[in-house]
Amino acid sequence: MRMETMARVIRSKNAGPCLLTFDLMLPDEATFSYVSDRIATLRQKVAIAYGRSENEVVVLAYAPALAVKITLPRDVVSGDIGDRDVYGAQQHAPLLDIEL
Amino acid sequence: MTAIGRLLDDFARQRRPLRSLGASGQLGYGIPTPALEAGLARSPDMIGVDMGSIDIGPNYLGSGKLAPTRVGAKRDLRKVLLAARRLDIPLIVGSAGSAGAKPHLDQTLEIIREIAAEEGLSFRMGVVAADIPRDRVKQAIRAGRVRPMDTMPGLTEADVDDASQLVGQLGLEAFRRALEADVDVVVLGRACDTGIFASIPAMLGFPPGLAMHMAKIVECASLCCTPGGRDTILGILDDEGFELESMAPNRAATPASVAAHSLYEQADPFEIREPAGHADLRNVTYRALDARRTRVEGATFEPARTLTLKLEGAAFVGHRALLLAGAADPRFIAQHQQIFAAVAQVVRDLVCEDTAEDYRLGFRLYGVDGVRNWGLPPEQLPREAFVMGECIAPTPERAEEVIRTTKQYLLHHGYEGRLSTAGNLAFPFTPPEVMAGPAYRFNVFHLMEVDDMAELFPVEVETFR
Repeated sequence: MRMETMARVIRSKNAGPCLLTFDLMLPDEATFSYVSDRIATLRQKVAIAYGRSENEVVVLAYAPALAVKITLPRDVVSGDIGDRDVYGAQQHAPLLDIEL
Repeated sequence: MTAIGRLLDDFARQRRPLRSLGASGQLGYGIPTPALEAGLARSPDMIGVDMGSIDIGPNYLGSGKLAPTRVGAKRDLRKVLLAARRLDIPLIVGSAGSAGAKPHLDQTLEIIREIAAEEGLSFRMGVVAADIPRDRVKQAIRAGRVRPMDTMPGLTEADVDDASQLVGQLGLEAFRRALEADVDVVVLGRACDTGIFASIPAMLGFPPGLAMHMAKIVECASLCCTPGGRDTILGILDDEGFELESMAPNRAATPASVAAHSLYEQADPFEIREPAGHADLRNVTYRALDARRTRVEGATFEPARTLTLKLEGAAFVGHRALLLAGAADPRFIAQHQQIFAAVAQVVRDLVCEDTAEDYRLGFRLYGVDGVRNWGLPPEQLPREAFVMGECIAPTPERAEEVIRTTKQYLLHHGYEGRLSTAGNLAFPFTPPEVMAGPAYRFNVFHLMEVDDMAELFPVEVETFR
């Protein structure tokens, strides 16, 4: 299934000036289990989509909010010359197309 | 008697839950009055507001400017100051003036002095500046007591000198020292947002893990609710947990919405870090008390072996000038990369005839690659696109010279297959060049080990009567 149809929230934001963090909030226990059982695959696909090596991508399941959090380094430190998104709030689009 | 003195006395007579009002997570952008007033009617013990964040980028820290307008900051400070004095309860302000360095703190204090004079208020104010002496950071670098955060490179003494402002994120203990100076109002420079709401609980002996967890949530006002928003929130802390209730009737703090808030702008939803330790959220439970209130329990505090201070610094990189224009020619849009490269070359040849290439010129084509570095071109090119040229140069004059020259040659550049020979750009207005002022970058985002915070960051008291 495509992430865009699975999640009820797909968002990105800075976690400090060096990191981007993404929250995938899932609608129910079943979808949360489906995604959290496939964390390794998700990590692999996120690494490819964002041009990062897998060991730079952290993926963790957060059951209290039925959410999966993904964190990876920014290409450019927030606000540095060449940055395109100081808050990091529009970096989630490649996640929409991820098939899991 | 001061507001904090009265609160401590009250608790000494009889211990009870502590009622904290989170009035604003971003002071200066407006505090909705109905929810603030609803909160004031609920007998709060304190009001807290956060003014800052690092997420707004390096410019405010570097330049010393407030992120909101001065008018907005003054309007909001007046609201919370009048409210706290009316109820005679402590008001705690963290990360004064957005980035919390000396210029930001000074502007915030100046606004507070104006309000105090205009409203005839009398109170004692405890202030802690967050600026850290550069020689102390250099000593720590030499002693191997500074390490980078995340992907930052190691800190050098040159970085310390380059930073136009250099602050340390003050922790709970700094708020506590300011309160212990027997005051009504506390204003800190750059500070951990948790200290705003966890410092009074620490003085009253509430469990620190619970207090930090509550603090991390209420500092964002009603953002933890569904729908999330800026309205005032009430947090009621006891020895086993805390209850959350938005003061806006249309916002509900539900177990799911409160749990989800732990994800926000944090890499690790299970930890909240402070200089003196961290709260562990692994065993937290969220329980609905009714449709609009949630009770939270289970956070624990793990003290750190060494005190660490998060340093933040921003260095000047040059003056920024922009070119703003649109394009609707499919051939121009298709060839934009070659066109931008060719024009950059033409500009360089012209403006560097008798001067070194002392600037950086870049282009974004919004509609194609303005927001992300996609790597691959889109399958279909857009009908229109927005061109932004950006020059960063040592002086405003140089940045303007480069960007104005760029405008002229981009407008008239003859590229392969060009049909529209009268001009390549649509200017929404003229001049299409905008001077955007000095530009900064974060050059310090590091952790420094510290033995004695009180000696580095003393409390100053100011009395209004």
